[in-house]
Amino acid sequence: MNHPLEPGLKSLAEAGLGSIALTVNGRPALLNCAPPTRLAHALRDELGLTGTKIGCDAGDCGACTVLLDGKQVCSCITAVAQCAGREVTTIEGLAQDGKLNRLQQAFLKYGAAQCGICTPGMLMAASDLLAGNAAPTQAEVEDALGGVLCRCTGYQKIVESVLAVAHDDLTLEPPTAGRAVGSRLARLDGVSKLTGAEKYGADEYPAGALWLRVVRSPHARAGFTLGDLDAFRRKYPQIEGFITAADVPENSFCVFPVPKDQPVLADGHVRFRGEAVLGLLGERDAIIAIPEAEMPITWQPRHALTEPEEALTATGDLIHDFAPENVLCRGRVVKGDVQAAFPMAAHVVEENFRTSYVEHAYIEPEAGYAEVVSQGGQERLRLFVCTQTPYMDKEEVARVLKLPHDRVRVVPSAIGGGFGGKLDISVQPLLAVAAWKLKRPVRIVYTRPESMASTPKRHPSRIRVRLGCDKEGKLTAMDFAGDFNTGAYASWGSTVANRVPIHASGPYALPNVRALTRAVYTNNAIAGAFRGFGVPQACIATETLMDELAEKCGIDALEFRYRNAIRAGDATACGQVLQASAGLDQCLDALRPAWAGAKEASAAFNGQAIRSGSRKRRGAGLACMWYGIGNTVIANPSTMTIGLRASGRVVLYNGAQEIGQGTYTIMPQIAADALGVPVSLIDQVHSDTDLTEDAGKSSASRQTFVSGNAAKFAAEDLRRQLLQLAGTAADATLRLEGTALIAGTSRIDLQGLTPINERGDLALGSGYFNPPTVPLDADGQGVPYATFAFAAQLAEVEVDLDYGTVKVLHIHAAHDVGRAVNPTQVEGQIHGGIAQGLGLALMEEYISGKTDNLHDYLIPTVGDMPRITTYLIEDAEPLGPYGAKGVGEPALVPTAPAIYSAIRAATGVRVRLAPATPDRLKAALKAHEAGQRL
Amino acid sequence: MKPAPFRYAAAQSLEHALALKAEAGEEARFLAGGQSLIPAMNFRLAQPAMLIDLNPLDDLDYITVDNGALRIGARTRYSRVEHCAEVARWQPLLAEVLPNIAHPQIRNRGTLCGNLSNADPASELPAVMLAAGARMHAHSAGGDRWIAAADFFINLFETALQPDEMLVEIELPALPARSGTCFIEVARRPGDYAMAGVAASLTLDANGRCGSASIALCNAGPTPMAAAAAAQLLIGGVLDAEAIAAAAAQAQEEVEPNGNVHCTADYQRHLAGVLTRRALTSAAARARQGTSA
Repeated sequence: MNHPLEPGLKSLAEAGLGSIALTVNGRPALLNCAPPTRLAHALRDELGLTGTKIGCDAGDCGACTVLLDGKQVCSCITAVAQCAGREVTTIEGLAQDGKLNRLQQAFLKYGAAQCGICTPGMLMAASDLLAGNAAPTQAEVEDALGGVLCRCTGYQKIVESVLAVAHDDLTLEPPTAGRAVGSRLARLDGVSKLTGAEKYGADEYPAGALWLRVVRSPHARAGFTLGDLDAFRRKYPQIEGFITAADVPENSFCVFPVPKDQPVLADGHVRFRGEAVLGLLGERDAIIAIPEAEMPITWQPRHALTEPEEALTATGDLIHDFAPENVLCRGRVVKGDVQAAFPMAAHVVEENFRTSYVEHAYIEPEAGYAEVVSQGGQERLRLFVCTQTPYMDKEEVARVLKLPHDRVRVVPSAIGGGFGGKLDISVQPLLAVAAWKLKRPVRIVYTRPESMASTPKRHPSRIRVRLGCDKEGKLTAMDFAGDFNTGAYASWGSTVANRVPIHASGPYALPNVRALTRAVYTNNAIAGAFRGFGVPQACIATETLMDELAEKCGIDALEFRYRNAIRAGDATACGQVLQASAGLDQCLDALRPAWAGAKEASAAFNGQAIRSGSRKRRGAGLACMWYGIGNTVIANPSTMTIGLRASGRVVLYNGAQEIGQGTYTIMPQIAADALGVPVSLIDQVHSDTDLTEDAGKSSASRQTFVSGNAAKFAAEDLRRQLLQLAGTAADATLRLEGTALIAGTSRIDLQGLTPINERGDLALGSGYFNPPTVPLDADGQGVPYATFAFAAQLAEVEVDLDYGTVKVLHIHAAHDVGRAVNPTQVEGQIHGGIAQGLGLALMEEYISGKTDNLHDYLIPTVGDMPRITTYLIEDAEPLGPYGAKGVGEPALVPTAPAIYSAIRAATGVRVRLAPATPDRLKAALKAHEAGQRL
Repeated sequence: MKPAPFRYAAAQSLEHALALKAEAGEEARFLAGGQSLIPAMNFRLAQPAMLIDLNPLDDLDYITVDNGALRIGARTRYSRVEHCAEVARWQPLLAEVLPNIAHPQIRNRGTLCGNLSNADPASELPAVMLAAGARMHAHSAGGDRWIAAADFFINLFETALQPDEMLVEIELPALPARSGTCFIEVARRPGDYAMAGVAASLTLDANGRCGSASIALCNAGPTPMAAAAAAQLLIGGVLDAEAIAAAAAQAQEEVEPNGNVHCTADYQRHLAGVLTRRALTSAAARARQGTSA
């Protein structure tokens, strides 16, 4: 929809009524839209420049940042009328003649883009800075980028990239054959993220697509009746269709087989604020213009059970009929005899902890479209959507529509951040039902408040832990009980209830463990999957008590953990004997110098502060974690295929969904080395349920370990086939030269071979991997995971005793990842996990109806982030591809308890409620100074 | 989300803008930088029937210094004021507060007069106007009037402006010799609205005693809150730790915080005391050093 300005057209008046002439990326443009239209919308809708993203539509996230006459502005809150006659520069205007500029090159080289949704805003903000200051300081970079939120990177690589523009050699050196694994290969989908070409959920839709507006419950619990929809439509003729519960063939879904407890559209009864009750379809602006108060819905609000304490004791008042006591699921791991062990313990500590709802706050709200396509004489549903799990979406949408699976195709868009949030069902069935009913393409983009109100969060928790050790400081017993508020629907609540007890002991050898959990239904926001599945909440509780016990024993906190660290050959609380790759002790060893230095530095600082009357105090703290890679016992196989084409290029059919974590780079790295060719010879077909095999979900830190193995096996299979074809030995070297395959001494012209499939593959290797596990018995004994990741993090903080504010100064993060397939990406995961862990510790608290936006829901900005030093420990996992495990979730798990440990070291205050906001910490400091407990 | 439909008019002159406003009345809003108004409209928290866009009025984009006063026009954006050396010299309080206001994107669009007309008590600028003893220049077809900052902020999002008036200019008196100022706040994150913030301005007399003092707080009540009694305690005295502590304790009594999603009212009151003490301590030191800021 370009509107090129005719040559000679000079002024706004000449351009005609309602038209606005401006320059966009150096070229004249004419916008035929109302003067108050937001620049972001005009750029995207009128000019097709979808590189500019809308994350909040309120000036809070900065994803929409563009340059207006060279200065950064939020285009979502700038009226186009104010841009008349002026110059706008967007991300699409940065690369010249198809060549990335130095800033873009730096972003590519240093891994500054992960999911890429904030990248346009970051690039434009940095461009403004660099135009006036070619060699800025770090502080100047942080100020310039302060208004752009990133949820993936922890900002460090972004800041480094901007600083690198002035001096660094930014050329890339791709790895040679056999050297891809372990190299810092720049992300293979990086260029499209840096030019604005990448298509996210809101960036693409068929012509004529109807807009779906979802009407949602303002009540946490209510009965409702829909009024006369025909009359409503007569009043608002722009409505071209409705969807209601009656239109949904199978009106229930869940990520789990049981219970399918959530309706696509509520049927007369809602269980949380934000639940979908009605869909309106029509032209976007017209359908959005209908006032909320006009909706033909009569509500009968009921008393809402918003907290687990109340839900558990609300006798007979069930949120779901099938869940007595409002309990969705109980988790249990019992080993040894806790009751017998505690009386024998030399030291015992016990405490209660609480954490709050945490929102994923990916910068891309849920978005996509559905259309009905005719294929082979059959109608099929095609769904373009941002998702972490295309194959589950396909099955769930087919189920809702009561269609065979093969009549649904899911084509994932680029994903602007997931973190577990897009591991769930959101827009998918709504779009499917609407498109299927109206037989027209239907699109949706959630508003930020809609996204926050309606999609799952991190579970709030209430955890009580008792921990004991002997007089030598060896842990002897842990008694752990946790209740997790799972909200109105199950989502991934069962996974949380089951994963937490397995991990409750922490990465320590403990002979006696009792860990019991409940996921409890309430009428609050749905809680589901969020980076760590409950383990971060549990880690806060257990690691705080590790500090307490260490202190009681008079043993240094690092040493205490080192003595108790679980090692290969030790049995876990589930009775699983770790075979290899248990690198916690190495992580702790790596931190020893920093730990000694940090303790010394904070003691010196505090001494000086006390002498000078300063009210600032510093402290250093530690926390450790372990994390099971992949699903808990449940099968989670991945399949990958890889073909060789007559062109001499290799095609990896990569169904491991990229969500910013790097699977579209990691999998080719692994496949390249397994096949024995340079990674530059590998092309990819990205995740698409029609074109790739099921590589499972991008969740549970599983893709590198599970799909990585599948990619490795597939490439090995292809190599075997090719060597066989060439008639050479199985250990012969293999090379591709132009269209020739050279194996050992034989040379085969690929152009002379007949493809084995219609895609043109001459040979197709296939790989499958499902991690070996053993089901858990009633006491949780078995082998829940094939391998575990380990980590220790050290936090240095500064607390202002007057304000109750905490500034995290430095995090040292030592992670045993088995093998870092791509160290840049591993570091990126660690940085991003730490940012989210910092948010969990100090800032983030979702309160339904109060913090449904990125203005009041606070995620860390660049100015909140500490310096991060990473230590990659590579204790190879024999089961993993080239020894690799996973790092996505482990990065976040120990951060909050490490920060709390440091706060305690600085102030003596033990944090028992997350987040430790300034008002809470100040109240605790006051109580502590008065010798009270709060 | 798109805002509700409404009329839009680009002002061709100040008089044109005022004529449009007089005609449309309270249903119309002036659009300056739009950094508060447009987000509110995007989410239908504001639904003006008409927008009168002041952006074409380049002649209202100015910073002048004359007769010992700093004047800033209605279309002058934060970033221009932030980077103006004259502002730092004449009224350092204003220069000190600006980097605390949101982020570069917002400061590149938002205007001071737009912010002040919006009268959000959480915003830093209204408190700075109080502490600096600013005057607000209201203009309408009927004429001009000057309103002291203390009389300008009536209530939450409510000013003394009449429906046909526009805040066309603010005037800040230059700091006398032997003065020191300080703005200090505690926000949840850099660039966020403060949980509480204090602007303080002190001038020493020839004997080194406190000749004049003003203290104002943001996010501490329904309007920017002047801690007048606290300031009064300082006048004529020596600005030592004891006097400052007493003023800070008094300031804490004068505020009326309500608490919000980011912190409790108790905490805001606590901050009011701590921040007042810290702001006065810095301002006094600056006054003694003759560095202003």
